[in-house]
This record gives sequence, C-alpha cells and structure tokens, in this order.
Amino acid sequence: MDFRFDIIIDYLPLLLKGALLTIGISILSILFGSILGLAVVLGKMSTSWYLSWPMSGYIHFFRGTPLYVQILMVHFGLVPLLIGQTNSIVAAVAALALNSAAYTAEIYRAGIQSVDKGQTEAAYSLGMTKRQTMRFVILPQAIKRTIPAFGNEFIMLVKDSSLVALIAAPEIMYWSNAMRGQYIRVWEPYLSAAVIYLILTYSLSKLLASIERRLEG
Amino acid sequence: MGKRTVALLAVCFVSIMAGCSPGSAGKTYKIATDAAYAPMEYMDKDKITGFDIDFLEAVMKEADLTYKVEHIGWDPMLTEVQSGDNFAAGISSISITDERKQSYDYSIPYFESTNMIMVKEDSPVQGAVDLKDKKVAVQSSTTAETLMVGIMGGDNPDLKRFDSNAVALLELDTGGVDAVVADIAIVREYLKNNPDKKFKGILDPEQFAPEFYGILLPKGSELKAKLDPAIKAILENGTYTEIYQKWFGEEPNIENVLNAK
Repeated sequence: MDFRFDIIIDYLPLLLKGALLTIGISILSILFGSILGLAVVLGKMSTSWYLSWPMSGYIHFFRGTPLYVQILMVHFGLVPLLIGQTNSIVAAVAALALNSAAYTAEIYRAGIQSVDKGQTEAAYSLGMTKRQTMRFVILPQAIKRTIPAFGNEFIMLVKDSSLVALIAAPEIMYWSNAMRGQYIRVWEPYLSAAVIYLILTYSLSKLLASIERRLEG
Repeated sequence: MGKRTVALLAVCFVSIMAGCSPGSAGKTYKIATDAAYAPMEYMDKDKITGFDIDFLEAVMKEADLTYKVEHIGWDPMLTEVQSGDNFAAGISSISITDERKQSYDYSIPYFESTNMIMVKEDSPVQGAVDLKDKKVAVQSSTTAETLMVGIMGGDNPDLKRFDSNAVALLELDTGGVDAVVADIAIVREYLKNNPDKKFKGILDPEQFAPEFYGILLPKGSELKAKLDPAIKAILENGTYTEIYQKWFGEEPNIENVLNAK
C-alpha cells in the first residue's frame, strides 16, 4: 500500500499550527479544570448538604455523559448564553475544563482522604481551625500525592481535546480532517495526527516526571 | 527513544497498512457506504435507503451482479475501497475530483450536483464571492470545503469546517456563521424540513461548477468494465429518471450526466 508523504508535507504547517492551539487549549483547560476541581471537591466534602449535593451532581453529570455531547451543549448552549455568540475556542476550553474538573475533583478527594486522620487531630489539638487544617496541613500533602494521577488526567485531556474538531476549533484533528477531505485518504491524516499527539503527551509525561522528582527532593 | 522503540512502532504501522486478509470477493460484491447523508444515503431505522441505494440496485440488476451494501462509515469505506480486499466499491455521494483520482478509480459519472449557499432570508449575500469576508461553515471532507478554500483561503479562520452538515447548519442557526455551503440536495432537504426558519438557498453556477458523483473503486478494478455500461443503460432507458423523480420530485438532466467527462 502506498503512503503519500507529499500530502503530509503539504499540510505540515497547518498541522503544526493546530498543535499550537491544542497546546493552548490543553494548558488553559488543565489550569481552569484543576482550580474548579478543587472548588468542586471542597464543596462535595463539605458537611452542608446545599454544597455537597450540587457538587456530587456535578461530578455525576460530567463523568457520566459523553464528552462529545458536553462539547455540543457548551458550544451551542452555555457559550452563546455567556458571551452572546458561539466561539469554538472558548467552548473548547470551557467544555474540557468543566469535564476535567469532575475528574480532578475525585483525584483531590483520593489525595485528601489518603492523609492520615491523626494529622487532622494533631492540627486541631494545636488549636488550628478546620479551614487552617485543610489549607496548611492536608492539602499540601494531598496534592503532592496526587501528581501521578494528575499526570494521567492531563494526558487524557490532551487527547480528549481532539474531540473539539467537532465544533470546528482549528486544532490538530481539525487540520487532519481537512487533509482527509481533500484526498479522501485515511492513514496519512490520522497517523500524522497520532504522531503529533504522541510527541505532545510524551513531552508532557517527561515534564510531569521532573516536577515529581523536584517535589520529592 | 531507543532504536528498539522505533522499530516496534514501525512494525505497528506496517501491520496497520497491510490491512486485512486477502480473500477474493467471490460472487457477491460487497459495496460500502456511509449512510449518513439524507436523502442520498441514510439509515431509515436499521435499513439503508436513499437515492444512491436505489440507483445501485438498478445498476447491479442491469449488470446482472449480486451484491450487498453495508453501512460502515466514511473512513472505513475509504480504507476498504482503497485496498479492495473486502469491499469491491463504495457509493456515498462521492464527487469525482482529480486529487481523489490519484488514489482511486471511479465509475462513469451518475449524478449531477452542485454546491448551494444557505443564508438567512435578509442576508445581502448574492453569490460565492460575497462570502469572501464572511463567516462560512462547511462539512469537512466535502467539495464545499474545497471550493470555499479556493475562495477564502485554506487557513482563513472564518472558514469553519464541521464534522457534519447537521452541526454546520446548527452553527448558522445559532448565528455563529453567516452562511453554510453544502450539496444542493442537503440544503434543499433542510429548507424543506424547516420552512419556519427563514433561510434561503442561493445558487452560483459561475463559482460553483457542476460536479458529478461516481462509484468509488480500487485502482485498476475489473468491476469498472461491468458497471459503466450498466450505468449508461439505466441513464438512457428511463430507469434512472424514475428513481430520480421518486427522490427529488423533478426531472434529472440526463444529458449533463452522460456528457460529463
């Protein structure tokens, strides 16, 4: 079977431009998703039902429905509601961040619950409030322990971002679809996209490993 | 990454390329389609139907061949037809273009189509050139995309390529774009089904030349010699006109299809 490197070369500048957008969308979604996830988990673990119920519902919804559908709902529903018009890049970041927050919330919870109860008791006996205990004793240890799980989540998110081609956000998959359309060939566009994603996720996992080492040392 | 990893990746790719087992088509020809393009080919519950499907039935009857159509999706259809191992052909409103001919053979043209612009009823747009500095949505992998790339430029951010016409049309409805460009059959179907939406269709024969659909075949397919005369026969003997009227409620221009290169 023939493999047409010439059409890949033709599309390479656009694929790389798409890669830049994928990187941008991923970084922003991870950032917003992690912040939102922390808020969600603190709400969920709260003793007040009016915080814990909606936050549990949030996690159930975003983990339990297809990201594909969430992207459409954010693009055609949430974003026009907030900024008055559709915008594929805003929708891409919003959908991925909202989705990722549900997963990071559960990662935070695992981390928080892994910290020994004795530490909370010790903090209380030193006269720290509940809030101070969480802020200065539990979270610093919890977050360090969750880094491997976060790495997993980030890598998933980078790959999940390929779904936003659905709403025409011009990232890697978008340009690979364009290449596919022009020549109606399958392997050249998809394998080029796969190689670019592999480079992105490989670099990301190296970066995370070095962060982990630094925190250990 | 060590040499071994690279070698392993290479092995993976090669095994993907090699595709499925050989095995010849036998007596029943398997034809692939992507039945997601009403009214040309689509799923009616669990049954594949549409103009292309009726047309294919007539052609295969004329050529006296047994066949079976399977809805396998766009990408699988392309890989299958390119290798030709499992599927002998693909039929899915596939426009004949020179770029695509580099990788496939086609039957003779069997359907004339053109692209149509759909805009809001009060839009000032009159033709394709007016779309140059507007926001336009198209379905990726279509000739509408190719044409609009020609007019607007390939990396123009205002040209938005969507996964399907359904999403592109929704984008127009939500106000994210000023126009959708798509096959005339798709636009007409949408206008017919949504008369309350205040949209209109615009034809621009100068910019959007007629294009022709062909049955997609692997390079060097022996099936071409059997299909081409059968297509010609049903175009000439009125069978084609009957099917066309059933689906579109009007007369086809048989001359244009027969004379197309």
